[in-house]
Amino acid sequence: MTPHVVNVLLSGVFHASILFLVAAGLQVVFGVQKIFNLACGSFYALGAYVGVSAVGWYADAGGPPALFIVPLALAGLAVGAVGVVVERGLLSFVYDRDETFQLLLTFAVVLMMEDAIRLTWGTAPRSTAGLYLAYGQVRLLGATVPVYNLVVIGASLAIALAIGWLLTRTAFGRIMRATADNREMAEALGVDMRRVSAKVFTLGAALGTLGGALVIPATAAMSEMGIELIVEAFAVVVIGGLGSIRGAFVGALVVGVLRSVAISVYPELEMLLIYLIVIVVLVLRPRGLFGGAAT
Amino acid sequence: MRTSRRQFLELLGAGAGAAAAARLDAPPVFAQAAGPVKIGVLAIRAGIAAPVGTAGLRGTEWWAERVNRAGGILGRPVQLVVEEESNPKDTVERYRKLVLQDQVEVVLGGISTGVTLALGPVAEDLGTPWLSWDGTTQKGVEETMPSPKWAFKSVDNEVEAIVAGILTPKYFKGIKTVAGIGNDYSYGHDCWEAYQAVLKRYLPDVKFVLELFPKLGVTDFTSHIAAIQQSKADLLMCSFWSGDATILMKQAAAVGLFKTMKGVFTTAGGVHDSLKKEFTPEGLLLGYNTMYFHDPKGSPLLKQFVREYKAKYNEYPPYECDHAYFNAESYKAAVEKASGPAKKWPEKGPVVKALEGIEVESLSGRRSWREDHVQMCNFYQGITTHKNGYDFVTISPIEVVSTKQAMKPAGAKLFEWINGWKI
Repeated sequence: MTPHVVNVLLSGVFHASILFLVAAGLQVVFGVQKIFNLACGSFYALGAYVGVSAVGWYADAGGPPALFIVPLALAGLAVGAVGVVVERGLLSFVYDRDETFQLLLTFAVVLMMEDAIRLTWGTAPRSTAGLYLAYGQVRLLGATVPVYNLVVIGASLAIALAIGWLLTRTAFGRIMRATADNREMAEALGVDMRRVSAKVFTLGAALGTLGGALVIPATAAMSEMGIELIVEAFAVVVIGGLGSIRGAFVGALVVGVLRSVAISVYPELEMLLIYLIVIVVLVLRPRGLFGGAAT
Repeated sequence: MRTSRRQFLELLGAGAGAAAAARLDAPPVFAQAAGPVKIGVLAIRAGIAAPVGTAGLRGTEWWAERVNRAGGILGRPVQLVVEEESNPKDTVERYRKLVLQDQVEVVLGGISTGVTLALGPVAEDLGTPWLSWDGTTQKGVEETMPSPKWAFKSVDNEVEAIVAGILTPKYFKGIKTVAGIGNDYSYGHDCWEAYQAVLKRYLPDVKFVLELFPKLGVTDFTSHIAAIQQSKADLLMCSFWSGDATILMKQAAAVGLFKTMKGVFTTAGGVHDSLKKEFTPEGLLLGYNTMYFHDPKGSPLLKQFVREYKAKYNEYPPYECDHAYFNAESYKAAVEKASGPAKKWPEKGPVVKALEGIEVESLSGRRSWREDHVQMCNFYQGITTHKNGYDFVTISPIEVVSTKQAMKPAGAKLFEWINGWKI
């Protein structure tokens, strides 16, 4: 493998790791609650900003730079709690309404969150200065790869496995799958829908905020960064199949790597290629590669 | 005086029929001359250009406070009426509202080319001076309004790329291949075209081996950087002007891109204080557009502005502040000039006449309006250095190139003009 191929593949997989976290948040919520949560991109942006602040405080407090990922990940997870507020405070009022209302409400959250971010952190892009390079670089088959990119890829993989474990090996996972499969039956068997909804939505939000926090050392936080990603996350869930975590994983890899290859080979086709795949999937397999139950 | 239907209805609606009828004939000069001067401001405060719009607004506010402390314009205090610049359609509506409903004397602002292309004809139609911060009425590199009466426009979009094209052969010897990256809209494409045209004049054998145009708002360029590495170009030209410049710099540093490649960032000075030393190498050509906050030859006015801006916002000001300051200050100078010996508040027509060719002291030094209503000023670019007291890069040496040298003359076609240079 030439260094160039390594560069292209790894940058594709790096992009896919971030996409996966956002798309997984989208899938968890859709699978169980049947809500298409446009605000997953906003959670991502929120995580990024909180990550910048957390790392800033950590550095000011004199924490060793090598461990910055700890406060970063913790802050990313903690701010996922905003999911409870959005779910209990807003979404719980529109569960009985038409899907259009839910879609509009989550879109409203996107706009409100953008303003809230601007009010809190200002309009200028925020970044974590040089922490991205704190872990150095490694040579991989002749290519220079930032170690932090590998950390993000590894973290994303670990989170994918953790979600898999949660869904298949825990009581809460079984409840989630049962609810996704048949909401009325689950409720009839004594599942407290209010609690499940709050927990699932918070899990979805936390996946987004964690993704945003993890990626921030490699990039810079901009208030509209979530909107850019949500468009790609759409492509991921259509390719992978709505509601499927496995679909999000494969879809993110397809979109991430294809995008990277397109940019290297024929940059004009970057977007076209991804949506061509989306169309092919929609025509040949409308439910997506793994469409169906929320597993 | 032309009166629109809306103005007429508003006047009637005020319930002062006779008075209104009188005002229709006589412009509201005397009615308003005692109160504050209303100045409309259009600023982008959301989305990717929000930092730029915010800087322009801050520059205007600083100017207004300063002018008001000194007694206003002809004794009238300045009152800013701020509206949002967003998409062309809505911004045109807000522009109309500023002129017709708020009855402002002048409108300042406008950054996005898409918006200002739409605002130009509206400004002409409504007959109120409009001084644009950073928007031209160029479609591509061609002017769509060569001789406006009311619209005053920024420098041509691609001037910073032309300046960079002139400076590239001076600082980077032996460049044979060049890759380019810019945003996928008119600014990114225009800069790249202009830069190539200029560089070709100095280095006829130079090859342009790669061009990438990611969308505005992209926050991951690792794939683009892989493609740039593969191109093995001697130099990368980048016209990013927002957070994307910071991100590209960071991600490029992470793979050591600028260890083997020279770099030209025509406009990244717009986010200069985010270009931290940890990931921004020395030796890049960096453009600050029309104001350089750290200019050792800067005027006391610039130094005061930078000091107060830092104290208030904990940031160092970018160039948009100066576009905005110049616009406001030139309007004030034009009103004073047009007021004549009697110091009577002038009508809008004489004010625009007075603006043509006027020169005032702005933050970055003397700036003027060309007779065809285009801003004339200096552009600041230079080679990045870590030798300063900040945690971000500055430039040394500093190159100052005037728009007299780097902007096409009135009525000229850009590429014909460049190809006609004697080099």
